Amino acid sequence: MLERMRYFILRALRNMRQWPFLCSAAVLTMAVALATVATFFLVVVNVEQLSQRWTKEIQLIAYLQKAPSRQDIPAILNDLKAYPEVDSVSYVSPDDAMNRFRQRLGDDASLLEGLNSQLLPASIELNLRPEFRDQEHISRIIERLENSLEVDDLRYGQKWLERFNSFVNMLRFVGIVLGGFLLLAALFIVSNTIKLTLYARRDELEIMALVGATMRFIKVPFLLEGAIQGLLGGLISLVFLMLSFSLIISRSLNSFWLTPNDFNLLFLSFNQQLILVFSGVVLGLLGSLSSLRRFVRI
Amino acid sequence: MIQLYNVTKKYSSDSVAVKDLTLQIGKGDFVYITGASGAGKTTFLRMLYAAEKPTRGQILINKKNITRIRGPQIPYLRRQIGVVFQDFKLLQSRTVYENVAFALEAQGKKRYEVSKKVYQALKEVGLEHRLQRRPLELSGGEQQRIAIARALVVDPLILLADEPSGNLDQDVTLEIMELFKRANARGTTVLLATHDHSLNQRFPRRVITLDQGKLVGDQQPLQV
Ligand SMILES: Nc1ncnc2c1ncn2[C@@H]1O[C@H](COP(=O)(O)OP(=O)(O)O)[C@@H](O)[C@H]1O
Ligand SMILES: [Mg+2]
Repeated sequence: MLERMRYFILRALRNMRQWPFLCSAAVLTMAVALATVATFFLVVVNVEQLSQRWTKEIQLIAYLQKAPSRQDIPAILNDLKAYPEVDSVSYVSPDDAMNRFRQRLGDDASLLEGLNSQLLPASIELNLRPEFRDQEHISRIIERLENSLEVDDLRYGQKWLERFNSFVNMLRFVGIVLGGFLLLAALFIVSNTIKLTLYARRDELEIMALVGATMRFIKVPFLLEGAIQGLLGGLISLVFLMLSFSLIISRSLNSFWLTPNDFNLLFLSFNQQLILVFSGVVLGLLGSLSSLRRFVRI
Repeated sequence: MIQLYNVTKKYSSDSVAVKDLTLQIGKGDFVYITGASGAGKTTFLRMLYAAEKPTRGQILINKKNITRIRGPQIPYLRRQIGVVFQDFKLLQSRTVYENVAFALEAQGKKRYEVSKKVYQALKEVGLEHRLQRRPLELSGGEQQRIAIARALVVDPLILLADEPSGNLDQDVTLEIMELFKRANARGTTVLLATHDHSLNQRFPRRVITLDQGKLVGDQQPLQV
């Protein structure tokens, strides 16, 4: 059994040595295809992470049509606090708002001199419990707020987030389409590479069949060849991704992208790295299988 | 060993390569298949190792009906049959040793067994000193001897030779014939397709003659 395997592997390697150009073409195509797919995957995962993070920092602000009277405020706040999604609530009176505004203007605060503080609306700021900080829950809370309060306007950056999310979806779509296309191209090239080596070795195939080699015996080395090429392609794409990730992307992007300090770009997890390499092997196997089916007959 | 009953092979509706052939060849026989070019000799041999399927009729090899043999069974049939061709069909990129070893490796034989048998088979044909050469460095006669070693290394029941001396000159042909005779003497059934009648004059054996696919003669050797 072991000797069998050794023999098959030796024959596969011998094939590859004999056609180094074809072989490296197949390996590189697979590497490029896998790297592209993985790159898109990484971009989508990281952008998604970013969007989740932004969603998490969301604070809901409800601007009220008119400021409630002082004695009503505790009741309103208690009502809101009773929402299961709500972590903390605070009331910002028109005066508070004016003070904040003044602080933000800093030296230019004198511009506000003499303005009626009632110009600014009162508002309620809600901080949500972390587990409810997502689009779905936010829309549900908004609905309830609008029913129970005289809300003038609600802010949480929803428009922006929605647009951002649809951008992520588009990225994912492009990634799937482009990746699928490249994987097919890789499959096609691997299949043709193997077909060419089969063609170049048709004498050998003929003689093998003539001297009583079984189909399996004839095919296994070519399947192995595909698998080895796929393995190499997968490893090359992984190494390439690792290098480019650590050298270029993570450094520059971390500095110029407006990410919070503790936000780290994600790389493939160990399991995902295994999957990447394994996909290469599957790709190579499929490629050689498809050409063998058509080519080898006894 | 080989039995044919009303075997017909058509490649297309208007080209009949072998027509209604019925004959028996016994174990250990040595038989010439003769006939002009296009008579159907190659087709006849190809049907025996299941490279072609007969259109009609039955073929039995070693009492086993191979007429409707299925793909996965074919390799096991071929392990009992050695085949030698006019053009040798050697792998030019492999050494002499590897070419002969190929037949054993294809049957999944162990490595130590392979090297022993290959050496014996090459010694049998007198080429044990050429192990590491490539076929193209050798003469036609030597190449054919390698092909014969490859056919015989697996100890086949039957040896089929399709015009084995077609590309070789007279004295080399005699060497090759000597190898066939030796294999036959050890019990291998030998079928030799040729249109060279001088072979039969030198080594008189049973002669089966085909003409346009039909059996037109089946002579036992004349007693000298
Ligand atoms: N693969 C094939 N396809 C179609 N016709 C064939 C094929 N092989 C042989 N023939 C035809 O069958 C006939 C017998 O050929 P063959 O068996 O090669 O004869 P021989 O070996 O005696 O010269 C010839 O007429 C030949 O043209
Ligand atoms: Mg012929």
